[in-house]
Amino acid sequence: MTEELRAVMGETAGDDIRHGLAIELVPNCSLTPAQAFGFFASLCFVSFTVAGYFAAQGLWPVLPFAGLEMAVLGWALNLSLRRRRCTQTITLTEDEVRIVTRDSCGARSMAFPRHWASPRLVRARGWHPSRLVIESHGRACEVGGLLTEEERRSLHTRLQRVVGMVNESPRLQAALNP
Amino acid sequence: MAHHEHTADHAHHDDKPQGITRWLTTTNHKDIGTMYLVFSLAMFLIGGLFAMVIRAELFQPGLQFVDPGFFNQMTTMHALVMVFGAVMPATVGLANWMIPMQIGAPDMALPRMNLFSFWLLFFAFMLLLSTLFLPGGAPASGWTLYPPLVLQTGNAFPVAVFAIHLMGASSIMGSINVIVTIMNMRAPGMSLLKMPLFSWSWLITAYLLIAVMPVLAGGVTMLLTDHFFATSFFNPAGGGDPVLFQHVFWFFGHPEVYIMILPAFGIVSEILQTFSRKPIFGYEAMVYAIASIAFLSFIVWAHHMFTVGMPLAGQMFFTLSTMLIAIPTGVKVFNWTATMWRGSISFEPPMLFAIAFLFLFTIGGFSGLMLAIAPADFQYHDTYFVVAHFHYVLVPGAVFAIMAAVYYWLPKWTGHMYDMKLANFHFWMSTIFVNVLFFPQHFLGLAGMPRRIPDYATQFADWNMVSSIGGFGFGLSQLLFVYIIIKAARGGQKATAEVWDNPPGLEWTVPSPAPYHTFDTAPEVK
Repeated sequence: MTEELRAVMGETAGDDIRHGLAIELVPNCSLTPAQAFGFFASLCFVSFTVAGYFAAQGLWPVLPFAGLEMAVLGWALNLSLRRRRCTQTITLTEDEVRIVTRDSCGARSMAFPRHWASPRLVRARGWHPSRLVIESHGRACEVGGLLTEEERRSLHTRLQRVVGMVNESPRLQAALNP
Repeated sequence: MAHHEHTADHAHHDDKPQGITRWLTTTNHKDIGTMYLVFSLAMFLIGGLFAMVIRAELFQPGLQFVDPGFFNQMTTMHALVMVFGAVMPATVGLANWMIPMQIGAPDMALPRMNLFSFWLLFFAFMLLLSTLFLPGGAPASGWTLYPPLVLQTGNAFPVAVFAIHLMGASSIMGSINVIVTIMNMRAPGMSLLKMPLFSWSWLITAYLLIAVMPVLAGGVTMLLTDHFFATSFFNPAGGGDPVLFQHVFWFFGHPEVYIMILPAFGIVSEILQTFSRKPIFGYEAMVYAIASIAFLSFIVWAHHMFTVGMPLAGQMFFTLSTMLIAIPTGVKVFNWTATMWRGSISFEPPMLFAIAFLFLFTIGGFSGLMLAIAPADFQYHDTYFVVAHFHYVLVPGAVFAIMAAVYYWLPKWTGHMYDMKLANFHFWMSTIFVNVLFFPQHFLGLAGMPRRIPDYATQFADWNMVSSIGGFGFGLSQLLFVYIIIKAARGGQKATAEVWDNPPGLEWTVPSPAPYHTFDTAPEVK
């Protein structure tokens, strides 16, 4: 969840600000899925060899603990890897905020008039994380769903500055160089 | 363009929740690291208090202060608290603080699981310590929990087993977090063989934990079922074998020793290169040496139980495999020495502790080699020589390395320099008293004094008195350590980003104190 921090800040802006500002939310993953699988398989091999040996000696209760542990490790690795498939690009021009979301289902795009769009952070409650949405005219698009709480708050602050609130259109150049 | 944004954003970005809820609900790796470190310091003091009870009782022959049953509870609780409550959580705290910063990651891979594993550990220790107040008292079987002795524990037995399960679950989750973070969240360009040695040592430690924790969990579960559900895993009356538990325990227990010491190797490697002003000598050899030690730790467990009566081939195998560990360990000691060779050395407190580690850990290593020789071990087994050996490995070894780490990174954590004079004083007091405490225990063991006894024959009186004086001195010195940390946390001379003279590592590229969120953009590692 956290690796996207670098991505939050990975915006690109052309020399000419009229081309817009793009904020890329791209997870950084050091492992490819194949490498992760190989790594996980090697850990499983060691863990189950040990547990299997003890089970063969009659100490079978070691096996379920090894299985449980490997299941949690596999889930954690998968969770960390899954994010590499999910990216978001928030492109801001003087007139428009466009959000392109790419995930395993493909790419989806949503555009809002910048003057009427506003970012809103729905506070975290209990076990539920906060949600950051860009909304306008009754439509909303969630952004930064994979970020940590702190990163999401940081992105919210940034979007407030560059998108502005409803009925505001801060000049991009000024918003970038306050 | 991006950098303008970052600078402007920093003030907000460093905003953090305030008050008690910050500490209860935080998922920030630095906060969780701090909680682990404070917890381990508290456990170090509690475990130290138990040690003081032991040393006070052993100050003179005869029974002075406590009855033998309570004495056994103290030895057991001292070990469990120090191993699982002080040393391991301290290294986990250091990992939480430093690994994301060292590999250029913004946080740990699974922040909520990180928080969960801390609170599991906290409740595990509340449970374990509460057994002191249960009918029958705390477990008194030693940290090895051998049956049938451990099955005589009173009401504390299931509570202690549950606490051990929680500790294990906490350790496993912590390890999974470290593994996933290091494997999948390194900054661009940070290949595995560019990683700082502390991160490397923790990756291998986490691997060890993953491999052995199910064995401990299975072992204590079988104790529980033997006690309450009439199974006979370790009960000879039902066809079980109590020696099998020793195999199970030490298959976990020996790698556990390395789980405590490998992060110390990483810490010392970081510190020696900084204060020698030279890169570490033989970086790759150091990595392979750590990995070799970790591998060998799986095939030496039975050297803890030579006296159970094993075949000659078994004795030879475990003697030789244990001695093999001296090779990668020797590589490390050689490389640390070579790192200092012709270096521009300065002797700040972290360096003093690291050098003391180098000398004193090596003493523990050599006595370990003596214990590895099966026929010699028959004489040393269950004597104070063993106590001296493992305390040399764990106190001036693991604990000194942790203290070195605190003195090394404290300015980065707090943003303040600590009182160097007091820290130097703390070092000298600790080093002198730790030797006064543990070195005479070699003599006691060689003279035949058994371990885990509250009373002893009068010929052991003199060295026991010396050892106890060392213990009280060492214990008091640690109050100074607490004072130095609190003083630095509350204020003091501002620390620069680098703190020391051109230290290696990404953690020194961020300001001191490190911002709540370390890296706005991923650092590129060339």
